[in-house]
Amino acid sequence: MRLPARRIAPGRADAEALVSRGPFSFVGGADPATGEILDESSGLRGASLRGRGFAFPHGKGSTVGSYVIYGLAKRGAGPAALLMSRADAIVAVGAVLGGIPMVDSVDLGALLTGDRVVVDADAGHVDLPDVRATPVVTAFVRNRGRFLLVRRGDRVSAFPGKWSGISGFVEGDEDPKVRAVTEVREETGLRGLRLRAAGPTLVARHGPTAFVVHPFLFDAPSRAARLDWENVEARWVRGAEIPDFDAVPRLADAFASVLGPPRVRKR
Amino acid sequence: MRLTAAQERMRADGTPAQRKAIEILTAIGELAGAEDLVKIGSAHVSGASYKMIGDAGLEFLEDFARDARVAVPTSVNPLGTDLAQWRDLGVPAAFAEKQARIARAYEAMGASPTYSCTPYHVGIRPAKGEHVAWSESNAVCFANSVLGARTNREGGPSALAAALVGATPNYGLHLDGGRRATVVIDVRGRVAGFRISLLGLAAGTIAGDGVPYFRGLRADEADLKWLGAALASSGSCGMFHVERLTPEWRAAGTRGLEVVRVSNGDLDAVQAKYTDGSEADLIALGSPQLSGEELEEIARLVGRSPPRIPVWVFASRAVRDAHPAAVAAIEGSGGRVLADTCLEVTLLEHRFGTVATPSGKGAYYLPSLCHQKVILEDIESILERYA
Repeated sequence: MRLPARRIAPGRADAEALVSRGPFSFVGGADPATGEILDESSGLRGASLRGRGFAFPHGKGSTVGSYVIYGLAKRGAGPAALLMSRADAIVAVGAVLGGIPMVDSVDLGALLTGDRVVVDADAGHVDLPDVRATPVVTAFVRNRGRFLLVRRGDRVSAFPGKWSGISGFVEGDEDPKVRAVTEVREETGLRGLRLRAAGPTLVARHGPTAFVVHPFLFDAPSRAARLDWENVEARWVRGAEIPDFDAVPRLADAFASVLGPPRVRKR
Repeated sequence: MRLTAAQERMRADGTPAQRKAIEILTAIGELAGAEDLVKIGSAHVSGASYKMIGDAGLEFLEDFARDARVAVPTSVNPLGTDLAQWRDLGVPAAFAEKQARIARAYEAMGASPTYSCTPYHVGIRPAKGEHVAWSESNAVCFANSVLGARTNREGGPSALAAALVGATPNYGLHLDGGRRATVVIDVRGRVAGFRISLLGLAAGTIAGDGVPYFRGLRADEADLKWLGAALASSGSCGMFHVERLTPEWRAAGTRGLEVVRVSNGDLDAVQAKYTDGSEADLIALGSPQLSGEELEEIARLVGRSPPRIPVWVFASRAVRDAHPAAVAAIEGSGGRVLADTCLEVTLLEHRFGTVATPSGKGAYYLPSLCHQKVILEDIESILERYA
């Protein structure tokens, strides 16, 4: 599959992905001589940056990070490419100084450590040659301030037992919005839906499959949902509760994309 | 981002350093949403203290200096020690040697060896409306707010890149829209002298990365220096306005802004918040480096009441050389006037644990950058206490 990306530093690289789920500082985060990762919070301690497509959400820490990246690149111990959600000047300057191709605005949910990534900063995209994109819809159905979550049964192919919105595969070149309405009707029996919002797509990985999620928000006139075979339990929940559910990947992100970030509950 | 034909040529056919410089400016401009680069009259580069940039920074600067040459007048921020007096300060020889290599790298690039955080005290005073690329937050605040010049809070490498290209990304404080006030600070009661630094610390916390507008404040240029230095430490401000005083206050646009009152009681709380030490082993004056007038005043005060603990006074080499009588008076009373360096970036943690200082900027950075406890107090009280 191909992910859109924004060019920060020029170049192209074909590498194995190394993905940190948390922000990263090159000062103290990696051995400046060898590129070995020292930062425990990255979940990658002991791995090496050398030659990898290093992905992390955003930078943190000292401005000296730019020079550390330069030194790593000079010694051949640096990453082959940098992929970020949100770039900052410290990492960007380091990438330029080190001659490392760099992109940002990358949906890191699409990447797993070990993936082959082909970063083309100049063309503005990242290819994952071994990952197949599968478009799906996820619909959040709202009634009087609560949202319908369903727990997936054991017979579904992906994420059995996990909580999710109403979801389904987009078939052929059909309109995802139409598919979303169809899925809500089939899986809940609810009628009289009004489309309120459609969020930007986001990617959730399941092995070599990348689900490209189209999120939608509907208002329903009632809470009289009748489940079909796919789901075994339904609950109407407050938006702020959604991040707490044992859910399919990126459910809270999909929810935030149609409704803004979940409000923090008052203590 | 749009580049001019000359900039495109530099990107394609320039020296390796020029090509990297253009790429840095392009990357930062794209991140910030700049449409183009704006030509600059001068650059001021931070990142010269070995204590701050370490071996990684030294290695980069020496490599870069092989073919990097500045295209506009460029001054350099303070180093990690005084190049002439380091032995007397107990600075390890290896530190001083690496520090001297950093200085040589900047000089090889054509930068002027000011080693000052107060370029405005050594004759570098851009005109109102002139675009410059300055790093060092107090100098940025002074240039924008007091002189009416235009600069963002550049990072060290971006200011260096701008120095090579002679231009910098055109966004933020380079544009009229970025210079408007974001919050009004209503100063209640008379705030003067040392308490101006406390006001700066308070206002930085309130303004964050915005542009505070002070109402009810009377100040001279020296006061504005200390105000901006503190403000740019506790906040990431690059500019402020003072009603009826600073050059652009009329264009600040305060209608509808939040108004935050700051009283002398609030400033007492700020002073207490930044004071965690009880017994100082060093008195530090400067940060930013002192002007000639300030150095003369310190000489008078220290001469009147010589302290029993070390006093380090920070000034630029140019100011130190121009005021030999003041230097002699301070050093005759047991103090030291250090040049080439300044309080937070200088090596002092090898000897001291608690610093007494009237500098709001110093109080903000000493705990994190120098592992010091701090006594934040006015100079007269400090000298009285340690007489």
